[in-house]
Amino acid sequence: MRIALYGSKMADTAPGGSGTRSGSKHTTTPADNYYLARRRTLQVVVSSLLTEAGFESAEKAAVETLTEMLQSYISEIGRSAKSYCEHTARTQPTLSDIVVTLVEMGFNVETLPAYAKRSQRMVITAPPVTNQPVTPKALTAGQNKPHPSHIPGYFPEFPDPHTYIKTPTYREPVSDYQVLREKAASQRRDVERALTRFMAKTGETQSLFKDDVSTFPLIAARPFTVPYLTALLPSELEMQQMEETDSSEQDDQTDTENLPLHMSTDDSGPEKENASVLQQNTSLSGSRNGEENMIDNPYLRPVKKPKIRRKK
Amino acid sequence: MNRKKGDKGFESPRPYKLTHQVVCINNINFQRKSVVGYVELTIFPTVANLNRIKLNSKQCRIYRVRVNDLEAAFIYNDPTLEVCHHESKQRNLNYFSNAYAAAVSAVDPDAGNGELCIKVPSELWKHVDELKVLKVHINFSLDQPKGGLHFVVPNMEGSMAERGAHVFSCGYQNSTRFWFPCVDSYSELCTWKLEYTVDAAMVAVSNGDLVETVYTHDMRKKTFHYMLAIPTAASNISLAIGPFEILVDPYMHEVTHFCLPQLLPLLKHTTSYLHEVFEFYEEILTCRYPYSCFKTVFIDEAYVEVAAYASMSIFSTNLLHSAMIIDETPLTRRCLAQALAQQFFGCFISRMSWSDEWVLKGISGYIYGLWMKKTFGVNEYRHWIKQELDQIVAYELKTGGVLLHPIFGGGKEKDNPASHLHFSIKHPHTLSWEYYTMFQCKAHLVMRLIENRISMEFMLQVFNKLLSLASTASSQKFQSHMWSQMLVSTSGFLKSISNVSGKDIQPLIKQWVDQSGVVKFYGSFAFNRKRNVLELEIKQDYTSPGTQKYVGPLKVTVQELDGSFNHTLQIEENSLKHDIPCHSKSRRNKKKKIPLMNGEEVDMDLSAMDADSPLLWIRIDPDMSVLRKVEFEQSDFMWQYQLRYERDVVAQEEAILALEKFPTPASRLALTDILEQEQCFYRVRMLACFCLAKIANSMVSTWTGPPAMKSLFTRMFCCKTCPNIVKTNNFMNFQSYFLQKTMPVAMALLRDVHNLCPKEVLMFILDLIKYNDNRKNKFSDNYYRAELIDALANSVTPAVSVNNEVRTLDNLNPDVRLILEEITRFLNMEKLLPSYRHTITVSCLKAIRVLQKNGHVPSDPALFKSYAEYGHFVDVRIAALEAVVDYTKVDRSYEELQWLLTMVQNDPVPYIRHKILDMLTKNPPFTKNMESPLCNEALVDQLWKLMNSGTSHDWRLRCGAVDLYFTLFGLSRPSCLPLPELGLVLNLKEKKAVLNPTIIPESAANNQEPVNAANNHGQPVVFQNTFSNSQEEEEIDMDTVHDSQAFIYHHLNMLERPSTPGKEQSSGEVTMHPVSAAPLSVFSKESNSSKHSDHHHHHHHEHKKKKKKHKHKHKHKHKHDSKEKEKDPFAFSNSPASARSIRSPSLSD
Repeated sequence: MRIALYGSKMADTAPGGSGTRSGSKHTTTPADNYYLARRRTLQVVVSSLLTEAGFESAEKAAVETLTEMLQSYISEIGRSAKSYCEHTARTQPTLSDIVVTLVEMGFNVETLPAYAKRSQRMVITAPPVTNQPVTPKALTAGQNKPHPSHIPGYFPEFPDPHTYIKTPTYREPVSDYQVLREKAASQRRDVERALTRFMAKTGETQSLFKDDVSTFPLIAARPFTVPYLTALLPSELEMQQMEETDSSEQDDQTDTENLPLHMSTDDSGPEKENASVLQQNTSLSGSRNGEENMIDNPYLRPVKKPKIRRKK
Repeated sequence: MNRKKGDKGFESPRPYKLTHQVVCINNINFQRKSVVGYVELTIFPTVANLNRIKLNSKQCRIYRVRVNDLEAAFIYNDPTLEVCHHESKQRNLNYFSNAYAAAVSAVDPDAGNGELCIKVPSELWKHVDELKVLKVHINFSLDQPKGGLHFVVPNMEGSMAERGAHVFSCGYQNSTRFWFPCVDSYSELCTWKLEYTVDAAMVAVSNGDLVETVYTHDMRKKTFHYMLAIPTAASNISLAIGPFEILVDPYMHEVTHFCLPQLLPLLKHTTSYLHEVFEFYEEILTCRYPYSCFKTVFIDEAYVEVAAYASMSIFSTNLLHSAMIIDETPLTRRCLAQALAQQFFGCFISRMSWSDEWVLKGISGYIYGLWMKKTFGVNEYRHWIKQELDQIVAYELKTGGVLLHPIFGGGKEKDNPASHLHFSIKHPHTLSWEYYTMFQCKAHLVMRLIENRISMEFMLQVFNKLLSLASTASSQKFQSHMWSQMLVSTSGFLKSISNVSGKDIQPLIKQWVDQSGVVKFYGSFAFNRKRNVLELEIKQDYTSPGTQKYVGPLKVTVQELDGSFNHTLQIEENSLKHDIPCHSKSRRNKKKKIPLMNGEEVDMDLSAMDADSPLLWIRIDPDMSVLRKVEFEQSDFMWQYQLRYERDVVAQEEAILALEKFPTPASRLALTDILEQEQCFYRVRMLACFCLAKIANSMVSTWTGPPAMKSLFTRMFCCKTCPNIVKTNNFMNFQSYFLQKTMPVAMALLRDVHNLCPKEVLMFILDLIKYNDNRKNKFSDNYYRAELIDALANSVTPAVSVNNEVRTLDNLNPDVRLILEEITRFLNMEKLLPSYRHTITVSCLKAIRVLQKNGHVPSDPALFKSYAEYGHFVDVRIAALEAVVDYTKVDRSYEELQWLLTMVQNDPVPYIRHKILDMLTKNPPFTKNMESPLCNEALVDQLWKLMNSGTSHDWRLRCGAVDLYFTLFGLSRPSCLPLPELGLVLNLKEKKAVLNPTIIPESAANNQEPVNAANNHGQPVVFQNTFSNSQEEEEIDMDTVHDSQAFIYHHLNMLERPSTPGKEQSSGEVTMHPVSAAPLSVFSKESNSSKHSDHHHHHHHEHKKKKKKHKHKHKHKHKHDSKEKEKDPFAFSNSPASARSIRSPSLSD
């Protein structure tokens, strides 16, 4: 009776344990045999524990319940320990994982060594070795790809190729230099032609031939209000290109070349050092505010307020 | 005479000395383009009877003049406004030039003259007698100035600052009088206080130190106060106002750079180099930069690319560039260096008189050359010297000489030093622009010759001496009379040279400075095997115009098998032949390496040379120490050896030019080898490209292999795997970049046996364009693409026309169609992605003109005219205008000529106006000896008006108009003018009837003009006669010349204050003399001495007669003026009545 009552209590605390293997009860596959053998060992363990506790007999149902509870408990320890170990990016649980698990489950770990060393404990023979259940092979289509070197081996294998492989419908990209250049050239030419033609079609044009205005349409020349801006400033495209081609490299070089040379030729050492610092400032921040204090240039000085005339 | 004067020190032509001047511009209105302000001159009389003060002023409307707070009367007369007053029927340029020179003289500050004459109020006479200070206060305004001060006001929305509107001073030589009254002379120095009140968003940049900037009371404007304590000539004063972005030079905080809005990144990059130029000059001159600050201003619509003024330089904004631009970088740096050199010599050190100009230009050009040698290397420097030498030689031979140091003997001298020219060289303002450019070129070359003579060390010592003297003088007070030390004179300079070096350079100066002309050598040689002597024959041509005889040492370098040997020959009167002993026996030492001049020893393949002679090559004057042209004959293999093995770039270039005449496989090989040689100077390689093209064309029937340069180009610039595709651009190596640009241009000049550009070449160039890929390049490829278009244009050959059919698209040559396709696409892409300085548009326009000219495309100026409009970038406009000029010539279009001339008068940009005249002169629609439908009376009238009065606001433009007139019609009466009514004229003086002289030049023009031009010394007698007759008979024209002077002196006499009779007489004489002498000198050439006195009397008589005439005329004018007073700023001041009767003209306002 005590046992049954206790058992029901345990069942309450671990309700999730039973669900895991409920599905594998009805058939007798090799996997089931494996599980059954393990369970039998557990039953032996429960029975011996009961014997140790002084029971002389037990109902089958009570033993069964206690076995179930033990299995749940052990499963939970395993699951939880695995989680802890994976959390710390390991594949093998260590002792500390188990300890933390037990602590987390409310078990007083300190009592464990003493319990293990108790005198009246019984030794149970190891469960009989049974073969690991072999999961039936699904239909394989092609070889699974091995992990590339940068993926650790413990990661799951690639799924079967048929689940992800797609058949490319485009042609292999051309890599021949000549063809590439040819392509780039004609593409650019086509774009330019199309663009200029479009511009010519939509705007005013001039023509070199009186009889034909469409074959060689020239976009009409339009005067600018400020002609030097477009002529001198690099276009956005060029600016972009400049950034891409990393021109800073050379500029740095010339700067470092100039600086020491400059200092050595000039007598006023401290002033020049100041200058070089300033120069960095100018290159770093376009704003003149920071330098105003240091550079004494009349054009940077603040504009004075008018003097109040005494005559008034 | 001038020199003697110089020895005594500087003598001011004025009876007073200026010490300080205040310029205050209170108001600048960009909308109306007007300026209001005042000037105040502090002067010390140097004579007791100073009664009138002559100042320079043009365009300015003068409201009021006060002397020491007393109202002063003044008259304003500017004879240069209209050079010939009367409707002269002559239309004869000779006559005009004389009159113009006289007019310029009449207001020349260096002769003590001026347009503005102020009478010292009688109350102050006593004050003046004690030589006490006078303060002359002049209120003036400028309205829509046409010269001197240029407004740039973009037509768009927004405030003036937002629009980028700006204004700056500009002009040719001393042109400050255009924007404020002053003594516009380089020799009148004073200290300055400059004040400019401008919009708060604007910056006013001017000379000297910016003392402070103060807001006006309404806080909407600021006043910039500048002080210039270093005595400076008014002509070196400048101004630039605009919404400038300010950049303090990171290396030198005293240096400030200014540019127009949005251009700051470009400014940073462009000026990042300037400090090195400073360092260089300060080091070689061992002298600090004289001013306490330096400013560079970059402005739009610049008059000239570089203008140097005291402590500031005004540059064209088009010199700015980003780091991506290769080609512009050295050009801009040169401009910066040039401007800086002129800061030392030209601004800080000024000149005593116009005839000393060459010293300043020479020194600044010379030290600029030294900078160039240091910066770009000896090769570049020598190449530049050679280029300049070739230019000056070509110009002098064409025009008859450039005289650096003209000496004018006070009007008494009979021979005009520049009788071969169609303008007077007496004044900077009468000079042709081209002449002035060449003058500067010759000046620095002569400085180099002096350096050769006295060594560079002494040369720099002389400069240092001049600078330190000036520097000491500049810090002195006016009273110390030291300021004239800041003026350089020819004699002072030469004295310094002789003091420092102890050498006598007088012969050199006499040869190159005091006389014009260059030397023309013809050299040939023979080798005398028996004597082992080189027999060199050097002939000179000293009879052609522009030449002179050279006597003195001449260096000859002979490269023999045993080495290079210098010989100094003495060129004397009658010695033509010179025997030069050779050092080596021919072929004696076959295996040895051959030592070169520079010590290098090289292996040569000697199989090409003459077995009997040990001579490899000979050079005459290898150091260019004579201003000369050498035509030397040596065999082709010698030129080839010279090209391959002589290390001097000048020798290599000479060899290349000589090889053009030897189209042989050996020449081809030599040129190809040079082209491939990477150690060879890139300009030599570029030159070799063009020579190779010429040789290939001459050898067309025997040429083997692919077209010249094609395989070379492929090897150098195309992909290894696919040789028809050019590599993606990488311009890191500039030498190969320049070669890559040039080779296609030269290749396109190749022609096949049918005189067509080979298809292979055209396709090759089209492929270069097609595969051009700049994506990975650090630099812009705009210049490269532009040159590819130039190459396309070069490949065009005249269209085969069946029967003068109209050019249409259908009969377009397929090759031309491909070319046109490219040009269209390029030109259109420029609208979307414009290239730097629109180089591609420029090339496209040129190419289109080539297509038109060759008959592929109908000739039509409409496209060019649209690109020539105001609002396009200046380079594009010039290219378009050049095409229109060319069209005008080829199609003889009167309409286009009119269009161009209208633009000359109306275009807002002075440079464009100047450039049109320049281009018309260089590519004239017709010349004086040519029949042309364009040449008619209306055109004569139009051009006459243009130079007579239409261009009075711009010296350069007027001289440009004179040049054009000369090119079109020559010196004498234009042949297209109708015959005067009377064929015979009675000459009352000589009591003879002569053929009307106005007819004679016409008939004589054809046969005598060339003689006249060819021989300056002996003028044809007939011509002389007609001329003297013409002026004797045409009294009215005669008056015109004197008109201006007579007019002024007439009024001056009226102003003359009563004084003791004797005194009056003498002062009258003194003042009368130089001016009346000026026109006399012009005519005295033709009249003998007895006539001379008669003439003088006659003139005097005329003078009286004129008085009445003038009164009448001016009364009339006055009436007329009053109507137009609003328009004409000179109106009231021009009238003598106003000066005499209205004490204060401001009353009328």
